Amino acid sequence: MTDWAVKGEALFKSYGDNKALSGLDLAIPKNKIVGILGPNGCGKSTLFRMMTGLVKPDSGTIEVLGKTPGWRTNREIAYLPDRARWYPNHSVRQAFQWAESFFPGFEIESAVKLARYMDIDLHLTVKGMSRGQEARLMLILCIARRVPLIVLDEPFSGIDVISREHIIDGIIDFIGEREQTILISTHEIHEIEGMFEYVLLMDKGKALWSGDIEELRAQHGSLHTVFRSFYKRSVITNGS
Amino acid sequence: MDQKEVSGISFQIDFSQPLYEQILNQIRSAIVRGEIGLGEKIPSVRELAQGLHINPNTVMRAYQELERDGLTEKRRGQGTFVTSSSKRVEAFRMEVAKEQIHTFIEQMKNLGLTWENVRAYIDQLLDDDKGGENP
Repeated sequence: MTDWAVKGEALFKSYGDNKALSGLDLAIPKNKIVGILGPNGCGKSTLFRMMTGLVKPDSGTIEVLGKTPGWRTNREIAYLPDRARWYPNHSVRQAFQWAESFFPGFEIESAVKLARYMDIDLHLTVKGMSRGQEARLMLILCIARRVPLIVLDEPFSGIDVISREHIIDGIIDFIGEREQTILISTHEIHEIEGMFEYVLLMDKGKALWSGDIEELRAQHGSLHTVFRSFYKRSVITNGS
Repeated sequence: MDQKEVSGISFQIDFSQPLYEQILNQIRSAIVRGEIGLGEKIPSVRELAQGLHINPNTVMRAYQELERDGLTEKRRGQGTFVTSSSKRVEAFRMEVAKEQIHTFIEQMKNLGLTWENVRAYIDQLLDDDKGGENP
């Protein structure tokens, strides 16, 4: 048994000259909503791909739910990649039926309920959807799964404020009933910051700060201020 | 600062301060000031979480503390209600008042003021304030 949803030590990963991760340490507690925050290119997506076994670290160790990432752990992870799309010819109902046969832990009743919450018509076809509607569908396909770990990479990009609020309401509706860790990466924190319990602030492939968000607020103020001060500092120190 | 109303209770959430304390203190004040009446139902954890877009676990922690305060009670299958005992609310009001007065006195001591100095200041302020709308 382990208390960590994800634990990584001294993770390095380069693509040619581009260092995606350069000595990342992390220990993310279980059953919390976790914000993985940082500017574009800070290594968030590489970290997520590493957690799902799509990318191997050059050095360092990573464990997800106490195991090395691979097909075994992926059954326990619902992963929403950045800019995810769905089959254009499917209706929402068909997408749910497809998911029910292929995604471990997918609960169709939950998906239908979430769709109602997020204002998605079951008869709608994917190709007729707006960007925001498709993003909501992709999100439902992830969070309707009863799995210990949900990983959402930029679930709000390109989604309007109203849709974001629907999404948050949907998430609130589901947690509490379940023991799940939800990791959310985003650089738009406005509607979601009240939802986080733990945050990992990343920059240039490393952790700048991680911990309980209420502690972060008590010590440093709002995430907005934190973003400004932390990242300005790191830009200055790295740029000199 | 975000001003929001959930089931008749208004909240001002400041994301630069810990959220748990804000929810707790704002509901405490609403009860003590009578904005939520004795025996009245308060929003469920989920309703408040959705209304404020705040993690339900944070709201739940605040609710547990309110129950420990004796200001609210859970009724099985019905939700959470403000206590119907005006005595309990009054006792809580006094506890908080005492605590704050102690803090205040400590701070005045740290400024090197005697109780006489402080009392004189307060009297003067109250005089200046006459006709104001302080209750």
